[in-house]
Amino acid sequence: MMQTVAWVVSLVFMLIVTAVFGIVAIKSTEERDYTPIKKKWYKARTFYGVILVVSMLVVTIYTLRDLPYNQPVYSAEAQPTIVDVEALQFGWELSETEFKVGEPVEFHVTSKDVNHGFGLYDEEMNILTQTQAMPDYTNKVYMTFEEPGTYEVLCMEYCGLAHHLMTAEITVTE
Amino acid sequence: MVIIGVFSFEYASSWTFLYPLPQLSANAWGTAGALLYLLGMLILGVGFLLFYLDAGRAIIKNYGSLGKGLGWDVISGKKSEDNAPSSTVIASTMVIIVNVTALTAGATVLIMNVINVVNPAFTVDPLLAKNLTYAFGHIFANSIIYMGVIAVYEILQEYTKRPWKVNKVFLVAWSMSTFFTLLIYTHHLLMDSVMPAWMLIMGQALSYANGLPVLVVTAYGALMIVYKSGIKWDIGSALIFTSMFGWVVGVVPAIVDATIVVNEVMHNTKWVPGHFHMYMALGACAMIFGFMYYLARQDSHIKTNMADRFGFIGYMIAIIGLSGSFLMSGALSTPRRWATHIPEWMGPAIFGGVAGILALVATTIFVIHFIRFILIRNKTDERTGMNKKQLA
Repeated sequence: MMQTVAWVVSLVFMLIVTAVFGIVAIKSTEERDYTPIKKKWYKARTFYGVILVVSMLVVTIYTLRDLPYNQPVYSAEAQPTIVDVEALQFGWELSETEFKVGEPVEFHVTSKDVNHGFGLYDEEMNILTQTQAMPDYTNKVYMTFEEPGTYEVLCMEYCGLAHHLMTAEITVTE
Repeated sequence: MVIIGVFSFEYASSWTFLYPLPQLSANAWGTAGALLYLLGMLILGVGFLLFYLDAGRAIIKNYGSLGKGLGWDVISGKKSEDNAPSSTVIASTMVIIVNVTALTAGATVLIMNVINVVNPAFTVDPLLAKNLTYAFGHIFANSIIYMGVIAVYEILQEYTKRPWKVNKVFLVAWSMSTFFTLLIYTHHLLMDSVMPAWMLIMGQALSYANGLPVLVVTAYGALMIVYKSGIKWDIGSALIFTSMFGWVVGVVPAIVDATIVVNEVMHNTKWVPGHFHMYMALGACAMIFGFMYYLARQDSHIKTNMADRFGFIGYMIAIIGLSGSFLMSGALSTPRRWATHIPEWMGPAIFGGVAGILALVATTIFVIHFIRFILIRNKTDERTGMNKKQLA
């Protein structure tokens, strides 16, 4: 699950940052001449900078390979079910709410009034995907449900006082 | 006007509102509340704009141009590094450039909203309005830390008795920060697939790149200047050093969230306040509090006590706890700005609430120290350094 990956990666790097600052704080009470320190650590910085740039490039290329905006390639037998989604203060209007496991679904999301956010949650209330619901525009979400169950749509963009009441249910069967 | 609009006229779009929410409130507030709020914010913005224009005028007058304020003549080799502008001038120039841009975008979208509230027949492209809103909000919020870091440059040099010299790498880093800060607001629009794909990909790539100046130059420089310096720690220096830790540690979840495939599940969850509380509360605010303690030490004989030490430790624990609870909530898919929570979301929320109380206590201690300093300062004769009783 992407949330776990994000949490673990963040935690690891945050701990590394904490360790580096901790070590420097501990060593700070010793007093040494600054010139050799600068010479040594400027040299190390070049190495560190290069590693950082290369790592960022690799992660950028790796994570940009498959974007949620890209429409999946459908086979002739599996054409997607198009679901029109309209958000309005404070509810959702979906043209269909019942789907089959493995059925490719395209949610075409727009809004009748203000900006909303279309967040799709599984039964454990983990968010699976989302997009913005905006007046005058239609954002698309591509989804193939892998498990049967009751899924929920939650509003993800503050849209007024009853923002938190803006939910809807989707049923997925075998 | 903002306060009257919110408390008397129940205007509740929050400051991060998106067009056309001020006009379409589902009958929660009316035209008067919306106009008071929007016009109040507009006046605030114009005030800031005048301040930055005046600061920009001063830099152009003294250094020739904003480009020279960023040290471009040093980067191009026309001037030596020894004649480079000070770090304070460089950071100020960067903030002037980005904030004049941000405030122009912000004022534009505010005026559009004002006209829409008065005359709903006047409509705006919602995507354009959203771009202008985030171009303002992202830049203006981020520039706080770039202003605060001036205190880090100045104060750490003094505490460590080591120079923090401006060189070409430093200048290039600040120019990079200027460009990236202007361009990366699109990472707030990653869940708007109607945006041009190249802008969203740029949002991710440049958000990563925006981490480089702080990770490779500013924070690295702070670590180097403190390392084996024999620094005498006090609350001021400790807060300043902590602020660099807060900035860097907050960059980590920020970069993670700027990744499109992660943003798909983290956008508008509590992960977002998780990362910005780290670099704003533990970064920017710690810079301000550190500067307050530094000023008090420099300008009076005030002593720090156990309460101040408790305040410092409490503040660190509180902000780490608060930000950590937000990040954990984000990982649990808790949406932002929800007035109610399901039971599964409550654990980190309660923990965050307790951490918030501790942060309030710690902040109160910092403020009390500063008020004590002001009182002592007011009683002290400037020429003799003696208080009024001693003079009598």
